[in-house]
Amino acid sequence: MEDSQLVQQVLNGNSNAFRFLVSKYQRLVVHVVGRIVQQQDEVEDICQEVFIKVFKTLNKFRNESKLSTWIATIAYNTAITHLRKKSRRGELSYSEEPKLIGMEADPAPNQKAVETEEIKRHLLKLIETLPVHYRTVLTLYHLEEFSYREIVEITGMPEGTIKSYLNRARMMLKGKIDKIARLEQTNIFADYV
Amino acid sequence: MSDTKKFTDSEKLLGEVLREEPDFFLSDRFAETVANKMARRFAWNQYIREFFIYLAAIFGIAALSAGIALIWLDVNWQAWWSFLLYNVSWVAGLNILVVFILFVDRVLLRYFSYKLSQH
Repeated sequence: MEDSQLVQQVLNGNSNAFRFLVSKYQRLVVHVVGRIVQQQDEVEDICQEVFIKVFKTLNKFRNESKLSTWIATIAYNTAITHLRKKSRRGELSYSEEPKLIGMEADPAPNQKAVETEEIKRHLLKLIETLPVHYRTVLTLYHLEEFSYREIVEITGMPEGTIKSYLNRARMMLKGKIDKIARLEQTNIFADYV
Repeated sequence: MSDTKKFTDSEKLLGEVLREEPDFFLSDRFAETVANKMARRFAWNQYIREFFIYLAAIFGIAALSAGIALIWLDVNWQAWWSFLLYNVSWVAGLNILVVFILFVDRVLLRYFSYKLSQH
């Protein structure tokens, strides 16, 4: 079913169509919200809030962009607003400007962590330690495969900033991989030949 | 040569990691729960809208009847007005009762029966 037909069905009050829409886009929403909020116990409530907003404002959707981009924009804004509220309440420190994380601050990889899967898991944890904007653009670009233009639409950040965040985040993560490789003094890429 | 190979390998590993799904998940019945919630909301809004349409129709008919009676049937509106003022509590009470019955019939009962049918 085309997205425009799906939207029309939802607007006509077809709850099965809405269920289908939620099933189709819940993966996207949970990735965006999860990467920003990083609290599993809060993720489900925020995702529900996102879909309630989608439902309430669906009549304003004009097919000028893809439905996925539009839903991702709502998910991004809802999660960022939640984070800002938490920051105002002093529950966490949230900064608009990302800070670079020092290599020294990283948890040292286990000496025995030479297995690729363990390195992957370690890197996944490191992604979660990146500043919120970095991990958001990484998720949107690499995991959800949005284009730069779409990420501009979702986050409202300039394209140059997005490219810079992506580049810096990748450099940081690559630095960690190289560091692990050096620490282990072994060929961790044996599986990648 | 070895450095170039390592670079490519680490790029490949990074590419794979960046495409890995984060460890956040939703309950199995998430879509069902959200869709049911939205369906209830949609039904409520629909019933409320219908209720106001009924209310507007009733008031419209009443106003039209009063207009016809006053203009064409030459009714003594002062007598009617003093009757309404004299029995204001009865008139207001009756109106409130009618509106309430209409609300219960058109909104509450339908909404609760819809909600029960979902379980």
